[in-house]
Amino acid sequence: MSRLQNLVSPFARRSPAPDTAEATVRPWFELKETPEAWGLTVYLPGVAKDGLEITAEEGRITVRGRRQWKAPAGWTALYRESPEAAYELSFSHDNTIDVGKIHAELVDGVLRASLPKAEAIKPRKIAVN
Amino acid sequence: MRSLIRYTHPRGSLLPAFGFSSPVPWTGLENDIDRWFESTLSDFLSPALENRFPVDLYEDKDHTYVRADLPGVDRQDINVEMVNGYLTIGATRKAKGPEGGESFALSRSVAIPEDVHADKVSAAYENGVLTVTLPKKEEAKPRKVTVEVK
Repeated sequence: MSRLQNLVSPFARRSPAPDTAEATVRPWFELKETPEAWGLTVYLPGVAKDGLEITAEEGRITVRGRRQWKAPAGWTALYRESPEAAYELSFSHDNTIDVGKIHAELVDGVLRASLPKAEAIKPRKIAVN
Repeated sequence: MRSLIRYTHPRGSLLPAFGFSSPVPWTGLENDIDRWFESTLSDFLSPALENRFPVDLYEDKDHTYVRADLPGVDRQDINVEMVNGYLTIGATRKAKGPEGGESFALSRSVAIPEDVHADKVSAAYENGVLTVTLPKKEEAKPRKVTVEVK
């Protein structure tokens, strides 16, 4: 029954990150697999290239996006729905991805990244003598 | 709908207070039902499957502003209409796929609090956020009127 008490977390999509002081929200993302690579699509509305940070360390890939837009002086917010918190998405790949060959682009608030699979895990045929 | 997968070893089971030596048969089921709730409810919140998107409403002295989170949409697939004090934002999100792709229709209507010049409404789309600027009509702008009391 303790899981039912955590009902709030799926609605808020907040990632539990006790080590970072900033509250973050997990953005919507999709991972598609092809034989050669993983295709990652992340929705980061309001995030431009200078607000985006992708880091890879210790078999973990973390995508952080921050909105740069601030309401101009004189604007009064009447109603807010979009999240103020930064977006953070993190997942471990356990060295199955060739980090050096990751290719990513951010267009219109959508991050599309191609994460090529590491050579070691690609299926290969073994010749039998 | 995700199927309910029974674990053979219940984790964190609540042993009854009576001190039975073996847990009651349904303790594992508690955890499974909790997990099933969590996974099902998180499915409902996938923005790619919703047809609603977050909107923010702002105003200053001369304008009302509406901002909508619409990542991954082409400019020509966005239409903004102003009818009778309601601003309707519609967009089509196209997903390209090897099987031909799919398209999702998104739509949202927002009541605009003040009278605006419907023909002078403008919109801009940047970084996946649509900002609609609606100039207020003269009589809607705040004006101080001093009333003399006889």
